[in-house]
Amino acid sequence: MSSYHQKSFLIVDDFSDFRSSVRSMLRELGVKDVDTADTGEQALKMCSQKSYDFILQDFHLGDGKKNGQQVLEDLMSEKLISHEAVFVMVTAETSQAMVLSALEHEPDAYLTKPFNRSGLAQRLERLEQRKTLLKPILQALDRGKPVEVLNACIALCKQDIRYSPLCLRYRADALRDMNQNEALERLYDGIIADRPLPWAFAGLGKLLFKRGQVTQAKEVYEKALKVFPMMPALYDGMADVLVAEGDSKGAQRVLEEAIRLSPLAVRRQALLGKLAMANEDFETASRAYRQAVSQGAQSRFKDPESNLGLAHALISKGSDRGLDTRTRLEINTTLSAVAKENPSDPGLQIRARLMKATSLLLNDAETADKLTEQALMRLDGMEQFMSPEAALLVAKQLQMLGQAEAGTSMLKSCAEIYGDDPAVMKDIAKLTDDPTILSSSNAAADLNRQGVRVYKTGNLVEAREVFRKALKLQPKNISIALNLAQSLLHGTDTSVPSAELEECRACLKLVGLMPDTDARFARYQKLKSKAFGE
Amino acid sequence: MSPIDPALDFSTVIASTVHDMKNSLAMLMQAHSQWLARLPKELRDGSEQGVIDFEFAHLNGMLVQLLGLYKLGVNQLPLQPAYHELDDFIEAQLAAHQEVFASRGIIATYEVDPLSPLGFFDRELIASVLGNCINNAIRYARESLLITVSDEAGQLVLSINDDGDGYPAQMLERQADYVQGINHSSGSTGLGLYFANRIAALHQRNGVEGRTEISNGGPLGGGVFSLYLP
Repeated sequence: MSSYHQKSFLIVDDFSDFRSSVRSMLRELGVKDVDTADTGEQALKMCSQKSYDFILQDFHLGDGKKNGQQVLEDLMSEKLISHEAVFVMVTAETSQAMVLSALEHEPDAYLTKPFNRSGLAQRLERLEQRKTLLKPILQALDRGKPVEVLNACIALCKQDIRYSPLCLRYRADALRDMNQNEALERLYDGIIADRPLPWAFAGLGKLLFKRGQVTQAKEVYEKALKVFPMMPALYDGMADVLVAEGDSKGAQRVLEEAIRLSPLAVRRQALLGKLAMANEDFETASRAYRQAVSQGAQSRFKDPESNLGLAHALISKGSDRGLDTRTRLEINTTLSAVAKENPSDPGLQIRARLMKATSLLLNDAETADKLTEQALMRLDGMEQFMSPEAALLVAKQLQMLGQAEAGTSMLKSCAEIYGDDPAVMKDIAKLTDDPTILSSSNAAADLNRQGVRVYKTGNLVEAREVFRKALKLQPKNISIALNLAQSLLHGTDTSVPSAELEECRACLKLVGLMPDTDARFARYQKLKSKAFGE
Repeated sequence: MSPIDPALDFSTVIASTVHDMKNSLAMLMQAHSQWLARLPKELRDGSEQGVIDFEFAHLNGMLVQLLGLYKLGVNQLPLQPAYHELDDFIEAQLAAHQEVFASRGIIATYEVDPLSPLGFFDRELIASVLGNCINNAIRYARESLLITVSDEAGQLVLSINDDGDGYPAQMLERQADYVQGINHSSGSTGLGLYFANRIAALHQRNGVEGRTEISNGGPLGGGVFSLYLP
């Protein structure tokens, strides 16, 4: 019989009194292996060096520091703790931490301060028992084998049907990872019909949304929000639905609601900033991006896009007379951070300079010119593709900064890279009337569509020929290059060198220049690992 | 009331003060238990110790309840229902009062219907209700306290029984008033009933709301507080 006494413990709390008090409680309970940490960063470091069986993590580690939930998320995503480990969130007040918790990563238990020795002993005993009961499931999770997770759940339920509710979440996640969409939908429906569980609602909404059943997803979120109006993750899902429906104002309102409930959320703040920018609500955009930047400083979701977004929102908010000193200072600080922290990213270097130049356009034309000059030089030697949003903003700012020619060439390359996407072409049309740019992608896009049709009939030789023609017209187009690469890979033996393999690799090398935020990045990686045998 | 509202209303001021008080109390309790551990045994088990432990738990329970009432008022009490193992849940609540039971010589036991080992509820909210009830029962119990868990027509029933004199007749008659928050004249008990009932009612299933009930008798012959969760 296993017992927690022989296990290793890590106590994470910023109060030394608390650490020593819990440490002595554990000692009195016979636990020998106890380590402590006073910050989340230290905890992560310690977990990377030693695998702990129990982590007692304080939720609030001080303002401006990683909180317990962020530590948990980092531990899980960097696989620093096993699923068999027990993670207990210690809080002064539990409901608050629960609202802040993401639905994906929940701690094994919450423990509310103050607690006494018998209370601690009881929790540890029980958590140990539960982990032992679920051991086969947890080990399968560690191995990353969803099929084994499912089998372990079935075995446990067979052993004792009363425990089947404990397996529901594991079963759902496993089905999700196996892309067993129909079975997953049935499972979610069954759970919700019996007991309304927030994660089941969120999971069902996400599944329907992923399959393009936007209306049904919306119905699920509407129903869920009636039962759980305090669950931020449900608002996030609803916002996705509204964006897909083209209702960006509605999506903004929903996200603002989620942020009222749970302001500590870097990605949510950044998304709100983006939506508010699209809605030309610069006040909200700058506030949200500011939060995303300051919270992001401690988070794994730190993202230079938020800094750039903040600067952009502040510039857009400014009047005809230019920006006040305080605003310019804030823009300067936020952009300097981007330039300093991303020295080897040419795209960010260019964008930070152009953004700053734009902010100085009215107040300091000389510096603006100098920065523009620097940006142009870097732009000249840049190979990587920017995302369409970034590229279009760069083009617009170049136009504003008197660099019409550079702006036009930026639009041209954007039309080449993303020309098959009508939404991008629509945005390009807002910045130029030049028919050579606006119609440049039509022929290639037609050929690309034709190629896809031919590919589906199974005629690989002809499909490749059509894709080749399309790529000749637009050599940097991501979709076409991906399609050609895939058609070349189809039926080609990657273990022996061949002309097809060579050509395929060349295509993928080109596609590799796309930003990793692109929706097609996953597809690229899959093809790449096949073609290069990595 | 939104958090961006610059002018704080009085209840918010109270709530954040209570929050601080609760943190202070937690530090105090912790320091006290560390200090106690260093005392020689004969000093450790004095009768004052029982009073201190009981009042600590009582204070903490009241503060938790106050925060809960505030959140109910501003609609910020999130319901996080999940399946919980009932024996674990009840053990945890009893363990939190372990010292008080020991110093008062109260024997606390529980019985869980083996056919329904799991319950579906918000662990923290129901724990705060149960904590207050146990605290209250300790005040009136002579030597035993019993928590039973059973299943009544698909509803989960948690009952806290004591062997004291039971609730006064007038309270039993007018429990509907307390529950609705009409009569708070009996102080903390009345408020506690109101709080408990609001939290029970947050738990719903197919249109049926949870509820509370107080009565006298039960297996120990004293007061019985029952929580019905659909």
